[in-house]
Amino acid sequence: MIPATRRIALLLAGACLGGAVHAQTPPSGAATVVAVPPLSTPDDKRTSAGQTLSIAWQASRLIADDLRTTSEVMPLPPSQKDYYSYPEVTAPTFSRWRSVGAKMLVTGFVQARSDGRVTFGCYVYDVDKGREVGRKGFVVAPEEWRRAAHKCSGLAYTAVTGAPGIFDSRIVYVAQSGSGTAKVERISIVDSDGTNQRFLTNGEAQVLSPRLSPKAARVTYVSYVGGKPQVRMMDSATGTEQLLAPGDAISFAPRFSPDGTRILFSMMLGPNSDIYVVGAGGGMPQRLTTSPGVDTDASFSPDGTKIVFESDRGGSQQLYVMNADGSNERRLTFGGGWYASPEWSPDGEWIAFTRRGSDGRRIGIIKTDGTGEHVLTTGPGDESPSWAPSSRELIFQRDIAGISNLYRVSLDGSQPRSVSVPQGGSDPDWSGVMD
Amino acid sequence: MRRFLTICALALVASSASAQLPGLRKRGAPTQPVLQGIDALRADFLTRSGSDTVYFGNGSAGLGPPTIATLQAQAAWLRQHPEVVVRIEGAGDPGDTRDHALAMGARRAEEVRDYLVLLGVPAAQVTTTTWGNERPGTPRSVTVLVK
Repeated sequence: MIPATRRIALLLAGACLGGAVHAQTPPSGAATVVAVPPLSTPDDKRTSAGQTLSIAWQASRLIADDLRTTSEVMPLPPSQKDYYSYPEVTAPTFSRWRSVGAKMLVTGFVQARSDGRVTFGCYVYDVDKGREVGRKGFVVAPEEWRRAAHKCSGLAYTAVTGAPGIFDSRIVYVAQSGSGTAKVERISIVDSDGTNQRFLTNGEAQVLSPRLSPKAARVTYVSYVGGKPQVRMMDSATGTEQLLAPGDAISFAPRFSPDGTRILFSMMLGPNSDIYVVGAGGGMPQRLTTSPGVDTDASFSPDGTKIVFESDRGGSQQLYVMNADGSNERRLTFGGGWYASPEWSPDGEWIAFTRRGSDGRRIGIIKTDGTGEHVLTTGPGDESPSWAPSSRELIFQRDIAGISNLYRVSLDGSQPRSVSVPQGGSDPDWSGVMD
Repeated sequence: MRRFLTICALALVASSASAQLPGLRKRGAPTQPVLQGIDALRADFLTRSGSDTVYFGNGSAGLGPPTIATLQAQAAWLRQHPEVVVRIEGAGDPGDTRDHALAMGARRAEEVRDYLVLLGVPAAQVTTTTWGNERPGTPRSVTVLVK
């Protein structure tokens, strides 16, 4: 558990970075304006994470910062002059918010409980219609207020977009420090707002391709600790880890199934890279592809019945779809260029990919029937797209002059935005929403 | 730690091996300072093989004539030094995506390994790995590294 003082420090850092992102958001005409006045408290009481009024103010700021990271929502940030009383939480004055152009309103409260925890109430209103469109309550330890605020942001985001909230989720990536031969790479896990960073590896061995289980409890990744790349599995809370599959073969490109019970990965057998599946607890892998050449970067459909992967069996890298048992392979992409690193969207509609051509590497999406292809980024050094839980945006790696950083891009055609993480990084993976 | 011990053991073997090489010791002459251990082995491997690195075409793991000539010289040296273990490290194509580059590096390393074994190098003498595009270095290549 992180001490409360450090949490506050992280919050301030996050708030500053949030401001930087704000400048790059698309024109507000495209975004829904959501008013986020300061959350209320029925009684300003002391808790283990500070006064409830103080928590309420910080939570309001965090909700606005969360919403500002999306291209669909334009928050009106909290202002002390808009503070409302506890009874007004469930009876807001809509005319006041209509007059400033808000379409949605978030209200809420933080209340101390006799057991030392706090009740966090969150309400979302449609301002034009003057009615409630969502409410949620959480009882959390005072130190967990950030997660409650992220859930509240998610409620507002869902009210605007209809998609799952993305804020109470985690991102794992390879954090990089130093350069050249002194470069140190460590698996790093952060909350999706860039706070609460933890390193999961110590930097002694080169590491690649971390992938989170749906609720971020486990991380599968590739390590050179044995002198060659091999897939490992780690419990992200305890750090306990082991080789995923027995044996000495080179293995890479792991990814969890949507239910977290299986791992797809690639393994070399002689000069061939093929796709295998194994239980998340290890055991003997089952081979799914047999073609000569490189088959890799496999990703399950959200219902677990299909797998998309890349293969150069036809002479160039293309995306293919097969059933989960390896049967019924069919080619998906015919657009020219090379297609790689596919990931199936959580809502099942799209497959994200890296497209490689004479103009470099760019991120794009295509429907699962092979139609609707379009490229979302300009490159030339973009790769490794990973879906947000909302299926409405992607996080990816962008290389500029040999330095990798994380960016996110919405499907709505807006410009990619830099993701604020404590260190430069590569190979991001975005978890599902926490429970 | 265990690997370090292995290298030390190899180094001991190496110093005696290089001491027997023609030209490195002149009878009756004062003892020349010579490279010791692993460095001497590596230098000799480089000199005798012409190169420790071979190159491939774009997106290819095929062995061209210059590559084959180098590998034949490397195989001859390895057959004469059965005590030496080498690691075959493959690299990917510039601009390739991460995992395809890893696979291409591994594929190239395996092709080199298979060819060396075909030429009579014991399989236990060679291990393979791939860097893909994860390390700065020569792309589209395989380096045979004396350990």
